[in-house]
Amino acid sequence: MVSIRVRGVDKFYRARQGAVQALAGVELSVDSGEFVSLVGPSGCGKSTLLYIIGGFIAADCGSIEINGREVRGPGLDRGVVFQEYALFPWLTIQQNVAYGLEARGLSREERRATAARFVDMVGLQGFENHYPRELSGGMKQRVALARTLAYDPAILLLDEPFGALDAQTRESMQDEMLRIWLSTRKTVLMITHDVTEAVYLSQRVLVMSGRPGHIVEEFRINIDRSVTREVTMLSDDFNRVRNDIWLSVRRQLAPGAV
Amino acid sequence: MNTSFAANLPLLPAWVNGRARRLIRALPIAMLLVLWEVLVVSGLIDRTFLPPAHAVILAFWDMLVHGELLAHLWATVFTAFVGLGVAVVLGVFLGALMATNRWVNGLVGPLVATTYSLPKTSLVPLFILWFGIGDVTNGLTVVLGCLLPILVSTHHGVSSVPAVLVWSARAMGTPQYAMLRRVLLPAATASILSGVRIALGYCFVLVISAEMIATKLGIGKLIFLYGENGAYAYMLGGILAVVVIAFVADRSLVMITRRLLYWHDSMELRGAHA
Repeated sequence: MVSIRVRGVDKFYRARQGAVQALAGVELSVDSGEFVSLVGPSGCGKSTLLYIIGGFIAADCGSIEINGREVRGPGLDRGVVFQEYALFPWLTIQQNVAYGLEARGLSREERRATAARFVDMVGLQGFENHYPRELSGGMKQRVALARTLAYDPAILLLDEPFGALDAQTRESMQDEMLRIWLSTRKTVLMITHDVTEAVYLSQRVLVMSGRPGHIVEEFRINIDRSVTREVTMLSDDFNRVRNDIWLSVRRQLAPGAV
Repeated sequence: MNTSFAANLPLLPAWVNGRARRLIRALPIAMLLVLWEVLVVSGLIDRTFLPPAHAVILAFWDMLVHGELLAHLWATVFTAFVGLGVAVVLGVFLGALMATNRWVNGLVGPLVATTYSLPKTSLVPLFILWFGIGDVTNGLTVVLGCLLPILVSTHHGVSSVPAVLVWSARAMGTPQYAMLRRVLLPAATASILSGVRIALGYCFVLVISAEMIATKLGIGKLIFLYGENGAYAYMLGGILAVVVIAFVADRSLVMITRRLLYWHDSMELRGAHA
C-alpha cells in the first residue's frame, strides 16, 4: 500500500535575480512500512521536498498524497525530526516529549506515563527534568526522536537527523533508529547526505539531481538487517551498492566527470 | 546578565566568596562618596555650590523619620509601577501582534518609527490640559515612554523565533491561534524581559520629570521644590531615595529574570559573581 505519493512537484524560490527553481517534476512514492532515503548534492532541494511533504510549505505545481489524501498542511500522521532538533528550550525533556500527546487527546496522567516510556526508550531516564541546554547534541537528537515517536505518527520524515552529530554518536543513533524501525515498522522518508547511512538504514535509496532537483536514480538495498553493524558494513553486498550510489551522487555534482 | 568579556575577567581570586564580592563591587560608589565628602569638607569645593555627602544622608534621614518622604515616594513609585505594568501589557500585546500580523505591522510600525525618539515628557503640558494635574497625566507619560522599548523588543523577539520551532509545534498539532501563547511568547521571553528592564529604568526618569513639571504629590515635586529654595542637601536626599528604589527594583527584576530564564542558553555563560 502506498503511504506517500508525490507527483510532478515543482517549487520556485523568489531571489533577487528572478525566480530560482528548487524542484522540477519530482515523482516518488513510499510504501507503508518502508524505509526510504533521499540522497543528493547539497542545495538540490531535498530538504525543501521534505518540508513540502510535511505540509509546511506549498508546492507550486503537482500533488502530494498521504494515504490517498491530498496534503493541505502539517498533520499528526507525519512526524518530523529536524536537523537542528527544534526542541522547545523552555520545556523540560519530559515536557518536550509530552508536547505532541496533548493534541492526541491524552489525559495528564497518560501523557506523563507515555512520555516517561519514550524517554526510557531512547535511554534518557534520569534526565526528565533537565532542560535541552543541559544536554549534548546526541542527547537532544534522542529527545527529538522520542518526542516524535511518542505521539505515534504513521510516517516519519527525517531531515538529516544525524548530520550535526560526531561520528561515534551518529553511528549509535543510526543503530537506535534501525532498532526502532525494525520494531515499529513505521513508514520513513529520510533526507541525508551520508550515503553509508542511507544504505545502512534504508530498503530503498533515491538519488536526486543537482538544482532543480528531481529523482534520477533508484537503488534497492537487499541486505540482512539481523546481523551486527560490523558484519553488514564489511559485507560485499553492502559496499557494492554503497559505491554505486556514491558514484551516482558524484555524477550529479559533476556530470560527465565520472 | 554578565556574559560580556570584561565581566568574566578574573578580577578577584576564586576564594573571594559571594558576599565579599558584592561588597567589593560597591567599592567604587563608596570611593566616590568619600571623595565628595573630602572635597567639600576640606573647602576645595564651596559648600554653597555642593553640600557635603553626610549632610545629604542626614537630610534623607530627616525626611524619612518625619514622614514627608514616604508619602511622596509612595505616590511616585505607585505611578511608576502602574504605568510600567500597563506598558508591559500593551507593549507585549502590540509587539506580538505586529510580529504576527502584516496589517498591524503596517499600521503600527510607521507610528513607532516616527515617535521613537520623541521625548514623551514634552507632551506633559498637553496631558495637563486634557487630564488635569496629577496621577493620570504622570501615569500616561510613564506608559507612553515605557511602551516603545517593550513593544520593540517583543516585536524583535517574536519575529526572530526560528521557523523550525513553529513548524514542529504545528506538526505536533498546535493550532495557529495557540502558537503565540505556546511557542512564540515563551521563545521570546529573554528579548521581552530585556525590553522590560530598559523600561524599568525609564519609568522613574519619566515619572519624576512629569512630577517636576506639575503635580500635587510626588518625589519629583519634592526635589523640584527643595531645588528652587536652595535646600540642596534635601534635594539630593530626595534624589538618593529614588536611586535606592530604582536600584532595588532593577536587582529584583534581574533576579526574577534569572529564575524565569533558567532554561535559556545565556545562563550557561553565567559567571560565579554575575
